[in-house]
Amino acid sequence: MTAVPQEKRKPKRRDIVFPLVNGFILCVLMFITLFPVLNTVAISFNDGIDAVRGGIGLWPRVFSAEAYRTLLSDKLTYNAFGISVARTVITTLLNIFFTSMLAFALSRKEYILRKFITLAVVLTMYVNAGLIPNFLLIHRTLKLSKSFWVYIIPTMFSCFNMIVIRTYIIGLPDALVESARIDGANDLRIFWQIIFPLCTPVLATVALFVAVGSWNQWFDTQLYNGSKKYLHTLQYLLKMKLATSMNTTNAANTSVDALVNSGATKSTPVTVRCAITVVSALPILIVYPFLQRYFVTGMVLGGVKG
Amino acid sequence: MRKLLALLLTVMMILTMAPAAMAEAADPIVVTVFRGDPGDQPTEDNKIYKLIEEEFGITFEIEFLAGDLDETLGTKFAGEDYPDLFDAGNSAEKAIQAGALIDLLPYISEEKTPNLWNHIKDLLPQLVNENGELFIIPNYGINYNAQIQNACNGPAFFIQKQVLAWAGYPQIKTLNEYFDLIEKYIAANPTNANGAAYEGFAILCEDWRHFCLINPVQHLMGRPNDGEVIINVNSGNWETETFIDKPYAKAYYAKLNEVYNKGLINPDTFVMTYDQYIAKLSSGTVLGMFDQTWDFGTATAALETAGMYENTYIALPLVYDEEYGYGVIEEHYLNGAVPNKDRGFGISVNCEYPERMIDLFENLLSDKWQKILQWGIEGEDYYVENGRMLMTEEQYKNRQDAAWKMANTALTIWESAPKKQGTQDDGNAWAHSDQAENYFNLMSDYDKEFLTAYGYKKPADFFNAPIELAPYGEAWQIDKSPIQDDYDKYLLIQDQWLPKVIMSANQAELDANWDAFVAEITPYAQIYTEFMQAEVLKLVEQATK
Amino acid sequence: MMIGASRKTAQRPLSSGKKLFRKLWAQKYLMLMSVPVLLYVMLFNYYPLWGWRYAFQNLDLSTIKKGAAWIGWGNFEWLFKEKLFWLGFRNTLAMSLINLVFGTTSSVLLAILLNEVNTRAFKRTVQTVTYLPHFLSMVIVVGMAQNMFVTDGPVNGILMKLGIVDAPVWWLGEGRYFWWLVGIINVWKEVGWNSIIYISTMASIDPTLYEAASIDGAGRFQRILNVTLPGIKSTFVVLLIMNIGHLMEAGFEIQYLLGNKQVYDFSQTLDIFVLEFGIQNNKYGRAIAAGMFKSVVGIILLFGANFVAKRLDEETLL
Repeated sequence: MTAVPQEKRKPKRRDIVFPLVNGFILCVLMFITLFPVLNTVAISFNDGIDAVRGGIGLWPRVFSAEAYRTLLSDKLTYNAFGISVARTVITTLLNIFFTSMLAFALSRKEYILRKFITLAVVLTMYVNAGLIPNFLLIHRTLKLSKSFWVYIIPTMFSCFNMIVIRTYIIGLPDALVESARIDGANDLRIFWQIIFPLCTPVLATVALFVAVGSWNQWFDTQLYNGSKKYLHTLQYLLKMKLATSMNTTNAANTSVDALVNSGATKSTPVTVRCAITVVSALPILIVYPFLQRYFVTGMVLGGVKG
Repeated sequence: MRKLLALLLTVMMILTMAPAAMAEAADPIVVTVFRGDPGDQPTEDNKIYKLIEEEFGITFEIEFLAGDLDETLGTKFAGEDYPDLFDAGNSAEKAIQAGALIDLLPYISEEKTPNLWNHIKDLLPQLVNENGELFIIPNYGINYNAQIQNACNGPAFFIQKQVLAWAGYPQIKTLNEYFDLIEKYIAANPTNANGAAYEGFAILCEDWRHFCLINPVQHLMGRPNDGEVIINVNSGNWETETFIDKPYAKAYYAKLNEVYNKGLINPDTFVMTYDQYIAKLSSGTVLGMFDQTWDFGTATAALETAGMYENTYIALPLVYDEEYGYGVIEEHYLNGAVPNKDRGFGISVNCEYPERMIDLFENLLSDKWQKILQWGIEGEDYYVENGRMLMTEEQYKNRQDAAWKMANTALTIWESAPKKQGTQDDGNAWAHSDQAENYFNLMSDYDKEFLTAYGYKKPADFFNAPIELAPYGEAWQIDKSPIQDDYDKYLLIQDQWLPKVIMSANQAELDANWDAFVAEITPYAQIYTEFMQAEVLKLVEQATK
Repeated sequence: MMIGASRKTAQRPLSSGKKLFRKLWAQKYLMLMSVPVLLYVMLFNYYPLWGWRYAFQNLDLSTIKKGAAWIGWGNFEWLFKEKLFWLGFRNTLAMSLINLVFGTTSSVLLAILLNEVNTRAFKRTVQTVTYLPHFLSMVIVVGMAQNMFVTDGPVNGILMKLGIVDAPVWWLGEGRYFWWLVGIINVWKEVGWNSIIYISTMASIDPTLYEAASIDGAGRFQRILNVTLPGIKSTFVVLLIMNIGHLMEAGFEIQYLLGNKQVYDFSQTLDIFVLEFGIQNNKYGRAIAAGMFKSVVGIILLFGANFVAKRLDEETLL
């Protein structure tokens, strides 16, 4: 790797200063990246009324888990969490299945329809009908609104991921398919029993993309399931909280005194919003380090080809 | 054998279905409801909803507005996803336009629905559209016997009572007096007891509630609420003009600019959502604003629940000072009762049982149910003495408690449903809050002292008596959908420019901003003026026919 | 594949309908695996294009039930006269360009800095941390940005401590900051992620090039200038051209979530224009016309970019 020639070099003074400066810059960068995240965690664990006065850094000033208690005392939170998990898992499984299946079919050089279907599918990356035609399709033609399936059905396939997987399959030795065919296996079996398992690394990457995309989605809830509170997702709950607790100047005036005087709960929209943020980001933060080694390969594959 | 079986089955089906059809009225049904305003769900064991369920077999599944009204409605229209009872709030015309509501007239008649018939029969010519259809029964503004006006429920300038108390209960009649007082108060009391800074004046600008920003000028000029126009009611020609682009409007925004540069207005006010506005008012840190009383009712309730009476607001009918050069202006904030046309529940085309919905409204309009809805249960929520409906202090206090209301009133339905206002035949008021005895005797000691200091019995005493309603009603009710695009522009230009004018750094910038604003809005103001002039004349002609 | 197919027909000049059928039959499983997905794509990606016909109809709330009438180019005429539309167009382009410039330079810079790190564990840590925001939803990111940029938030706090400003800046309420705010937030979210491709390109640079440069007496900066940068040039150009093809995509969520009436002149993009006219005002015909305009310009840009990329003899997009 690049490290090899560098070690051979004679150490100069510059080579001590530069890594230090470089390391410092990167540390600052990490700090800038992490600060908003940690700050949100800190606010979510702060006393609500105190938090509205602002100025919280990396650590709660007056510790309180009241925001989480408020959040978790609402059964809609659990419901939204369940919906988010369900849509993410189902979408990911179906998307991976259909996308890799097509990727396999389109990786077979002998397939007659290969060129036609590839063209038809790849063109969709260029041509997009836009928001309103899709909106009318879901609402009026398919009547998918007000149902859980509006989260699943429109997202069962993705072209970009298909190309990534296909590139990976083409990179596998042809002999695998040939010998299986000689053994009398049909294409279905070849795909399912030979190719699919071999694709695990790329599928893990693609699954991560799809899962994150599905988990982070809120706009479809707003467009199609806004009136069905039992179909709301976590991200949508967060979006609604964002709309009601968004300030452009200091938040210090928000209902603090009314809350103090009425002895109401000590969570405020600001702390509750941060608590939902933490809850909705947590699954990603937990899964992310384990999948990290996969997605770099995937990103490179996709980047070159996409 | 087979034929016999089929016959048997048919007979059985008829037998089982016939009683079902006959007993339909008592079948328990769940009615879906949309309310075009944000709100809180009633508790599950709500006392009044339980009664409704027992008597009519109806339970409600209520959806409140969350987010942008037009966007929410847009998704409903696209999917034709309509609730049974549809209150599309301030955009109800759209629900009618989209064909989401059914014509109610075929269901309403003197014989079948006497209560509803009596309720609307005099107003029918005003309420129906050109095709003679009625889609929405007004939620407010239909008075029985004498109208009672204890307080201003509409537009006014508001000020926290403690500010007036601090200054020794002065009479504040003009714009300059009002802002001078607020300025002096903040100078003397920059923060409240908890150390939170006071904000002098708040201006709600969100969506259709931007009337807080764009409506005040007509009132300062001495007119009641005609929306965005001033109409000459004295000449006999009903000359209609927009006021926002006139020099007499600039005077108001220049005043706000002066106030802004003194630091009495927080720039955040121009991007505040309605929820944030309510939260701010509820905190007791906003000293004044222009608004309509009903618009911040939840904030008032929160303040009263918290016992912060000194932070509640009193409505003041301000006009321009004489020095503005428009003479001595007589204020006319209070107007004759005006039915809230096209606002309230309609029944959607998706509703499977329109008859039962009409039946529900009909029954809820009965004297018995109106008392339950507006007063509660006799003996629990009020008592009767010598024919007068009265409340104990506790009962009255309950009525101000937001949490209590969610458990013990059917407010969430009542607000959008047709209702009786004014006076009952026996002289009691329809609304518990209008009842004279309750009104003054049960008001908080703070409020009592406050009014007594002025020598008043009710907040409406700050105002001139209501004037006679003009033949066209109130012009804000006119449906602008024929010029929707231009009207939207007309409003958007105001939304964008007026804050800029108010936030100008100096006189030169203010003049420049104002001129740019006028230049941009003039073409739309012209279109709007012409349209409104024609509509007003049409309405006047209709009313005098 | 074309070559393969033609070779086969060349080998068997007598190929008949029967043979074709036999071949189709032999590939029935491949069809089973691909045709349903093709139909799915037809429904969700091509059928909506049929909705573009509404761009030529007066489709709105009152006509959606009764059926709309054809009005020719009326919607487009209205659109091109509409100030808000051009405002949206301007804002879309401005924010895309800012994203493009900020995004590309920042990720190349980060890749270079990381490439110069010799400690593996440290490099890994930096990468793990900087990739993270990519996976957070825009709702979360905007919420965090809100915490950072409110007038009494940390950003103003730091700026005031450093003496750069002497009064808190109203970041979220003043239009002129909006574009840059969006640029900064996007960089924060994507810089790590976008640097991946450059880091992997740099990893594939031949180490002997560095060695040779060292022997020639090149310092670290000269090595970066003469070896690293030329090494990523082709990747850089391809990505740049691809991004130019996406200039009409300025993102939708961030403007929608972060915008407010005060910054409307700068936050309103074409996507928001479509949302407002289509869903809030129910003028479907006009909104579809605007969406169509955006798509068509986008397609032209994409194919144009692809064409340029080909002319430059780089890797092509398809």
